[in-house]
Amino acid sequence: MKKIDTSLKTVLHDFSLSYLAKRQTALRGYDFEALRTELAAVKDSALEKNERLLARFEEQARAHGTIVLRARDSEKANRMILKICRDHGVRTMVKSKSMVSEETGLNGFLAAHGIEAKETDLGEWIIQLASEKPTHMVMPAIHLTRHDVAALFSKTTGQAVPAEIPALVRIARQEIRKEIFAAQAGLTGANALIAENGAVVVVTNEGNGRLVSTIPPVHIVLASLEKILPNVDDVLLLLKILPRNATGQSITSYVSFMAGPGKGPQYVILLDNHRSAILAEPRFREVLRCVKCSACLNVCPVYQLIGGDEFSHVYMGGIGALLTAWIHGLKKAKNLARLCLRCHRCEAYCAAKIGIADLITALAERINAKAGKPLWKRLAFDGVMARPGIQRAAFGAARKARPLIARKDGFSRKLPAWTKKYDRFRSLPAPARKPFSDLFEETDVTQPPKNKKVKSQVTLFAGCLVEHFYPEIGMSAARVLSELGYDVRLAPALCCGFPPANSGFRKASSRAFSKLLAKIETESPILTLCPTCTTMLARKGPEIEDSEKAKELARRVTTFGQFIYDHNFDRLSAMKPPARTALPATYHDSCHHKNVLKASRASRTLLERALGSKLIEMDESDKCCGFAGSFCVENPAISEALLSDKLDAIEKTGAVLVGLDCPGCLLQVRGGCRIRGLGIRVSHTAEILEDAICGKS
Amino acid sequence: MSLWIEQFVERAGMAGAEIERIPSLDEAVVFLKNFFLENRLQTAIISPELKRRDLFRTEFSGFPTGLKEGSLWVEAGLGAADWGIAETGTLVRFDRGDEEKNVWTLPEICLCLLEEARIVPRLEDISAEIAGHLSPTALPSPQVSLITGPSRTSDIESVLTIGVHGPSRLIIVLIAESPGQATRAHVPR
Repeated sequence: MKKIDTSLKTVLHDFSLSYLAKRQTALRGYDFEALRTELAAVKDSALEKNERLLARFEEQARAHGTIVLRARDSEKANRMILKICRDHGVRTMVKSKSMVSEETGLNGFLAAHGIEAKETDLGEWIIQLASEKPTHMVMPAIHLTRHDVAALFSKTTGQAVPAEIPALVRIARQEIRKEIFAAQAGLTGANALIAENGAVVVVTNEGNGRLVSTIPPVHIVLASLEKILPNVDDVLLLLKILPRNATGQSITSYVSFMAGPGKGPQYVILLDNHRSAILAEPRFREVLRCVKCSACLNVCPVYQLIGGDEFSHVYMGGIGALLTAWIHGLKKAKNLARLCLRCHRCEAYCAAKIGIADLITALAERINAKAGKPLWKRLAFDGVMARPGIQRAAFGAARKARPLIARKDGFSRKLPAWTKKYDRFRSLPAPARKPFSDLFEETDVTQPPKNKKVKSQVTLFAGCLVEHFYPEIGMSAARVLSELGYDVRLAPALCCGFPPANSGFRKASSRAFSKLLAKIETESPILTLCPTCTTMLARKGPEIEDSEKAKELARRVTTFGQFIYDHNFDRLSAMKPPARTALPATYHDSCHHKNVLKASRASRTLLERALGSKLIEMDESDKCCGFAGSFCVENPAISEALLSDKLDAIEKTGAVLVGLDCPGCLLQVRGGCRIRGLGIRVSHTAEILEDAICGKS
Repeated sequence: MSLWIEQFVERAGMAGAEIERIPSLDEAVVFLKNFFLENRLQTAIISPELKRRDLFRTEFSGFPTGLKEGSLWVEAGLGAADWGIAETGTLVRFDRGDEEKNVWTLPEICLCLLEEARIVPRLEDISAEIAGHLSPTALPSPQVSLITGPSRTSDIESVLTIGVHGPSRLIIVLIAESPGQATRAHVPR
């Protein structure tokens, strides 16, 4: 990865914030969840009967006098368009934003055959003039400033152009209109095709779509086959969601339903380009629900740092990786897939409820199988994590080396030079003196205090980071539970299998999970100290192993904070107020905790009760801190930039305590605070609750 | 009813349209003629459908229905909408072929007549009309246009700028009185 371009980062971040504000206003009074659930169902059903709907569309469009053609792939579509151009003596074609024509490489193909294809969407036009790649699917020229555009226009028009946006837009209006009137053909994409009446629907703001489809004598529509919807009602549903979610508008300036030719012929080319291969795979079919609103990009922490030039092939971001895998091949998708944090943040915003993160994980399995696994992951996942004996030995060796590695404060010393890119922005923890399971056995926290009645038994599943690096978090949790009257048992100190699963190492994950499943007792509630472990045991486990015990485990497991919130909130209400004055505190939402388990409200409520004061919310508390497991090893520069933003947000609150629920985030944020010398305490919810409940100060 | 009209006015305004509320069609014609005079408009195109009606044919006799040969620009366009949508401040236009569409996209200023009685709460309320209009029938090339505010872009520095390809002003002439005979040449029902 290149160095992060700070000016691009600022532009994209500002855009994201203004987008979120506009979107919120546009969705006020609408039940987004209900709308998108309905849209997802409509799209699924349309995909289910895709061929039948396409046939109906063809029949109806032909009845209007439209010429409908089918293209199997890019090559076929490009050749069809070339033939249409030659048949009608087309020398210049104007286009209104068609992602699909970018997918087929139409402009280059036509140019090689002596036909000029000119973009008319302002952003696309600028990009074409500048010979650059688009940065955003809806806002392609977002990375250019008015000064860049003025310089470009000056060069194009041969006249000095002021760097004022209205003047620039004016110039573009004049130039582009000349091009539209001079062209012999216009090509548009389609936001939807309507099966029941053969109409094409185009959604635009600038109005170029309408000009391109009406002014030149020939109109060509290039649309991919998943754009088909059964009827007008379905399109109206799409129109309720698409503009609100894409740009935060209640509707775009123009929506055109077009059926049949205007003054000249109208062609509709239905492009497959490997989409029927996606349709044939039930696991991945939902990818084709995508309506290209770009909401996923607008909230993607990685996209916000590096933009679409780097995070794309043609289609951008996580959803881009998925489409690319089929359309342009696994090799091209590989680099996109590894840029996905799997933070699931996009899923709350997706207009069609696509489970992008889990689909990328499924894609990673395929990439590993077909395009090869990285050596270090093979060592870590296949070699160590799938083999508990070796894992124990590895951590045991690390503990032996502790005197060499550890500083007094528990962090590691500077590691060898080659690791600089990993530990220059956050200090890494040294292995603990004793693993949590040993410490737990040695201390008598297993039994509740003598004077208390034992409520019931709970099993604590600590997870690898607590077991080997942060045993004090485990001890805090055990003390809190014991104080609340629970008989605390410990689950076997085995890996849950999440890290290999997340990297697409299904076999290694399955081995690790099965070993844990064989040993863990599922009679009592199982509490984890890590939302990622919970995600594994509660969501992914039963997918890996279809057994009663896996299902029972999934039912029994919950995160520590959620359990306390659900079952012991009364106790907390009657809790003694904190010994010291309440410290200003903030809370970081860990990705799985917030986006998958939806448990962040429980933790906030608990912490406010425990601290006796309101939390100070940080900006974008739900944005990934940059740990993300193996992501931070593969993409240290992005991890560093995400952490830097997180620390900025924390500092801005003035808090001296950061609460969180994931030991991975704790590693990242605590290590970052140390490098910055912030003197801010970073604590797991269990530690903060221990202070309040057990009166430790 | 009036609730929807007020909502339409509010939402169309939010989308950047200008609204002129006029009591009757005759007064609307007076308003339009004054507007042309005051703004010294030299060139304008008139919706072919309006042009077929006596009132507009006589009052706007000097203006053609399409661009002059070789010309790319026109100052104003005058048309009428079939429906108004309160939820989004949207104008809905049912057409056949491309000719009518030019009135909405080519001019600098777009003037649009709409009767208050044609305002419905939501787009779904005219879903059947849209579907009916688009179905293949004897009449060729059905088109449905939804127009909300003037042409806009945010493509340079995400700054909202009005009037990129289409009109920079959209003026909705909202007529309160519903005349005995519909002001529409075709009522799509």
